[in-house]
Amino acid sequence: MKNLLTAAMLALFSQASLAHTLWVMPSHFVLSGEDTWISVDVSAANMTFVADKGVSPDNLSLVFPDGSRHKFSQSYQGKRKSQADHQLVQEGTYLIENGGPARYFTMFEVNGERKRIMADKRAAAKELPAGATKVTTSRGQSKALAVVTVKAPNRTALDPKGDGFELNFITHPADYVAEDKIEWQLLMDGKPAAGVKVELSQQDELYRNAAGRQMLETDAAGKLAFTPTQAGRYLIEASYQSAEKTELADQSRATLTLTFEVGLP
Amino acid sequence: MRKPLFALALLLGLGSQPLSAAQADIVLTIPEIATAQYYRPYVAVWVEDAQQQPVKLIALWRKEPDWLKDIRRFWRKIGRSDTALVDAMTGATRTPGQYRLSWDGTDDQGQALAPGAYTLYVEASREQGGRSLQKIDFQLNGQPQQLNAAAAEELGPLTLTLK
Repeated sequence: MKNLLTAAMLALFSQASLAHTLWVMPSHFVLSGEDTWISVDVSAANMTFVADKGVSPDNLSLVFPDGSRHKFSQSYQGKRKSQADHQLVQEGTYLIENGGPARYFTMFEVNGERKRIMADKRAAAKELPAGATKVTTSRGQSKALAVVTVKAPNRTALDPKGDGFELNFITHPADYVAEDKIEWQLLMDGKPAAGVKVELSQQDELYRNAAGRQMLETDAAGKLAFTPTQAGRYLIEASYQSAEKTELADQSRATLTLTFEVGLP
Repeated sequence: MRKPLFALALLLGLGSQPLSAAQADIVLTIPEIATAQYYRPYVAVWVEDAQQQPVKLIALWRKEPDWLKDIRRFWRKIGRSDTALVDAMTGATRTPGQYRLSWDGTDDQGQALAPGAYTLYVEASREQGGRSLQKIDFQLNGQPQQLNAAAAEELGPLTLTLK
């Protein structure tokens, strides 16, 4: 799992990133039954919702409507996609998250060889071998989200924590309906993330000549709006990068995807 | 018929209400659909105000809670948030045919609705079938009116008569 995560991190940071887009796809976004089940697919792919590579489900978790975080009760890693199941016994809104907190790693060169250690600037200062050059420490984060609501929606699982790259759900996902405006806000460490590029895509690209993707960007307040004309399943992928130096890193990059459903009016 | 009711309301000290409640008839139709496996549709009938907020659930014909979400708009507007109302209004699913419902112009709390613009919704969702949503915009202004909505896949012609 660590290797896979590291690989994902490296892909995230490589110059010409060939990284696939990581997404989670729940079997349902809206549920009305008692003690009902949810199944979630996780895959990394180039075409939206066409499964390509099954990634480890080890980083998959579920935030309950009361805010507590849980592992899925069962999961399986497949070649094209991975799957996890959980029974939803609480009423309210659940957040499915694949990924975790921000991680740091330091790249350097020693004796003409490129190397890396999983350490922030402070830790790296102690661990770097003598003669290390071209030292750069990066902070990286990658996560895939989806929101599922059982009966009445609530917001506890959705509340931003002020840590890392986060999506603030201004419009509740249970209220995404064709022809109604959806609003989000992107945050980095609790502060609005302005000028973040966001790519929006829709299901069934395989059956259209034009993929019809849209490039959006957050405004000065970190906000983003989209008014879907059709019901269906959509994906947004937000890519954050900053060359602002901090005590722990020289640069920062993060990606976040949200899979969401737009209902019929 | 309204006059004695109004007089009674006055006698009971309810004269401060905006209007005596309207009387409305709703005629909806569940069409015959020829299919190998026919299941009766889940049907909801309700009224929303000009802000698209639900004010009155008139009828709900359904079975299993698992499929309530498939009456999409009903679920989003009423079903997901008001379990008590859903339980109180639940009736059995119906066979194809014409059904006459009456509504007294009151809201879910039994209070007469204020005059103004409202919308009647009828939504039907059928297992292994489709979903249809019919709507009729109307004014509660004391004027008699008869309004119609065209037939849809899962619902025959709809008529709202305000008396």
